[in-house]
Amino acid sequence: MTDYFQEMGWRELEDGEQPNHLLHMARFLIDFGMYDDNFTGEWPRLPPPASKESVKNLKEVKIEDENQNCPICLKKFNINDTAKVMPCQHLFHEKCILTWLNQTNSCPFCRHELPTDDEAYEAFKKEKKRSEQRKEDIEALHNSMFS
Amino acid sequence: MANIAAKRIKREFKEVMKSEEVAGGAIKLELINDSWTELQGEIAGPSDTPYEGGTFILEIKVPETYPFNPPKIRFVTKIWHPNVSSVTGAICLDILKDQWAAALTLRTVLLSLQALLSAAEPNDPQDAVVAKQYKENPQLFHMTARHWTNVYAGGPASIVEFNQKVQRLLDMGVDEHDARVALSTYDWELERATEQLFS
Ligand SMILES: [Zn+2]
Ligand SMILES: [Zn+2]
Repeated sequence: MTDYFQEMGWRELEDGEQPNHLLHMARFLIDFGMYDDNFTGEWPRLPPPASKESVKNLKEVKIEDENQNCPICLKKFNINDTAKVMPCQHLFHEKCILTWLNQTNSCPFCRHELPTDDEAYEAFKKEKKRSEQRKEDIEALHNSMFS
Repeated sequence: MANIAAKRIKREFKEVMKSEEVAGGAIKLELINDSWTELQGEIAGPSDTPYEGGTFILEIKVPETYPFNPPKIRFVTKIWHPNVSSVTGAICLDILKDQWAAALTLRTVLLSLQALLSAAEPNDPQDAVVAKQYKENPQLFHMTARHWTNVYAGGPASIVEFNQKVQRLLDMGVDEHDARVALSTYDWELERATEQLFS
């Protein structure tokens, strides 16, 4: 029994010591995955298109380096071509990236996400972020009481 | 076929042929028709897996909307793996479905499939029977996968006991692949496999 307690980082209470209910609660929440409200964290299909606004606001640059490919069509850019720049700094032909963003909202190269016009998806993203934050909070709480 | 799809496949094809993976024999890519819509891929079974020493052939179909939609890929070589159907060769891999990204290429897809052979994802199975064995009886799963690699993919490890059991069913007039599937499914218990085949 002692070994089990040690393994779990637990110890028996000293004479007259009260159990730390908060600590137990935090452990319980973490061990049983209760902190995430059964939030599954997966969007079950291809995320929706990028918002019209975010597509309209994509910057353009003039290509200066001729050894760069557009990651969608794999064609080399020509010097002085204009390319669209994603916020992650990845460059694409306008036609290539607009076709892709019209289908789903992330960079085809690094999956950096643009906002969408889809309310359900935006709510999902918010919930996911909240659940991640909650998990961090509980871990921080646990660690602060534990150390 | 839309222009961009064929052009991109041509560029990819060149890239793959120059890659070190092709040079090292880890992957292969061949053209099946002149319109660049069908290709055949090949991956070597990764070392330290039951697929080691085997060569696995893949059917690759390129949709007109490529690269905005993923290529359709299935195993032609029969394989015992939780994420591949032991019957149809259909593959369950996220990047071939809702995690596809237009910058992925046939080269990266073939390498991902090779990685899938090293690290199965039994919680997202294509073949529930295989996935169950993988989780509940990993040793038997390993042997079964090695046996399939030997029989279908040219792998080195012949497993005498399994071959004998398959032969027993062949002697009863059962089709060879049916016999192997039934035995693999019923953890190589001859009685249960026979019962299922003749019920
Ligand atoms: Zn392009
Ligand atoms: Zn990016």
